[in-house]
Amino acid sequence: MKIFKKLHRVFKLHRIFIKQDLKRLMEYKIDFATGAVGMLLAQGVNIVFLSIIFSQIPALDGWKYEEILFIYGFALLPKAIDHLFTDNLWAIAYFIIRKGDFDKYLTRPVSTLFAVTVEKFQVDAFGELFVGLLLFGISIPHISLNINPLNIFLFIIAMIFATLIYTGIKLITASIAFWIKRSGSITYMFYMVNEFSKYPTTIYNRVVGAIVTYIIPFAFTAFFPASYFIAGGNPWYNIGGTVVAGTVLMAVGILVWNKGVSAYESAGS
Amino acid sequence: MRKIFRIYKPFTHAGILLAAQYRVNFIFFLLGDILMCFINYFLWRAVFNSGGAQTFMGFSEADMVSYIFISFLTSTLAYSDGSYAVGEEIRDGSVVMRMIKPIRFDLAFLFQELGERVISIAIVFLPLVAGVEVFRFFATGAVQFNIVRFLLYLLSLILAYLINFYINVCYGYSAFVLKNLWGSNLLKNIIIGFLAGSTIPLAFMPPVLSEILRILPFASLTYTPVMIYIGKYDLVQILISFGLQIVWLAFFIFLQQVIWNACVKRLSAQGG
Repeated sequence: MKIFKKLHRVFKLHRIFIKQDLKRLMEYKIDFATGAVGMLLAQGVNIVFLSIIFSQIPALDGWKYEEILFIYGFALLPKAIDHLFTDNLWAIAYFIIRKGDFDKYLTRPVSTLFAVTVEKFQVDAFGELFVGLLLFGISIPHISLNINPLNIFLFIIAMIFATLIYTGIKLITASIAFWIKRSGSITYMFYMVNEFSKYPTTIYNRVVGAIVTYIIPFAFTAFFPASYFIAGGNPWYNIGGTVVAGTVLMAVGILVWNKGVSAYESAGS
Repeated sequence: MRKIFRIYKPFTHAGILLAAQYRVNFIFFLLGDILMCFINYFLWRAVFNSGGAQTFMGFSEADMVSYIFISFLTSTLAYSDGSYAVGEEIRDGSVVMRMIKPIRFDLAFLFQELGERVISIAIVFLPLVAGVEVFRFFATGAVQFNIVRFLLYLLSLILAYLINFYINVCYGYSAFVLKNLWGSNLLKNIIIGFLAGSTIPLAFMPPVLSEILRILPFASLTYTPVMIYIGKYDLVQILISFGLQIVWLAFFIFLQQVIWNACVKRLSAQGG
């Protein structure tokens, strides 16, 4: 029962903070609109690019247009969910630690990680979320998905753990700032690897394929789970890999974070 | 001219020091960005493997690979941070400190940014050009490097940078009205990147659209220099595009002056 009480508190706090953030947004309505539209356009441009390519070739490495769109849409959803809830980790990496502003989280009666992430509800992510769902809407009628209760369950599992892959990688790299004060560029470099997940991993050469599968496993955020739903395959590898990668990265992330918090020394004024 | 250099040299010096301070960060950011080039590289390799044809809308595989990397190089070097820097100064009111000095606002920024560029040129230029040339040599079996075309590219690149700088300064002045620039800056960069052909070569667009985009100032930022570099433009096209670049540069310098004069009148420095 204790855990339910704890969860209840977490959700309540989340609600309060989101409400607070939305109020702030109302102040800067135009900023919200431009941010979300910017995210939307950034993806839109890539879709135009893909449609130009497919106007000339029937299939890319054996994948047809709608299948590629499905993988692309699949890639956007966990990215958007992570973006929505944990965007403040970027601020940790860029300036919160360097300026010594981390102090305030240490005084809060909740875990530091929760206090940091709950502070920002990044609505820019709705742009990505929208495009991802839109791509599903466009592509799903044209591909043969095997929709049954088990697959829906696996889809939800894949989404949750794919999101944790994003969060874990951000968490590990942002935590480096506890030691070197500023790690934004490192977070950026690792985070950008996610772009590889939007296309079938089979188009890359062996080295790059191995890196995005085993080292910085963004391939498990989209291509592997998505290809299971399109083409079938071994769910233990395609979905199980996502679960393992998400769990491991998140666990390492929390570990590094906690070590970092104890190594944190505030900025002298 | 010499006087200008003498007056503004300290700004360039400050810019170099600033960029040197952040060079490690710069390299990480660069590595992150260059991943996109490699994704596009693999994507195009798959396209050429799947299509079976030797060319894609007039571009061979070697052309396409060169396009990807040279357009990255061009947009990295012609990048201008002006709108953000100008906007920030206007927002926090420190622009006043510049206005009381006998220097030109735009030139001070320009010379500082040139200094910052020195470091990035030193880091990215040689590896990228060498990489592309080695690739082209193995892909086509002959040396493709042409010194005349390369010099024309450099000239076009400089013009591209100046145009981009002035577009960004004009845009930064919108902070006099808008006060909050982050979101719209992102949006602007995406739109300009698209119109400049840094995601998709303009030649791949429908013909009418492609013609219009080529005349607009944005093509001068990336597309024009890249097409000159990879040898897609003949002499006449090169001359026309230089003409266009110069016209647009003059236009934005003029526009910048007009907006500045108009804005200074309604400046309300916050907390200044």
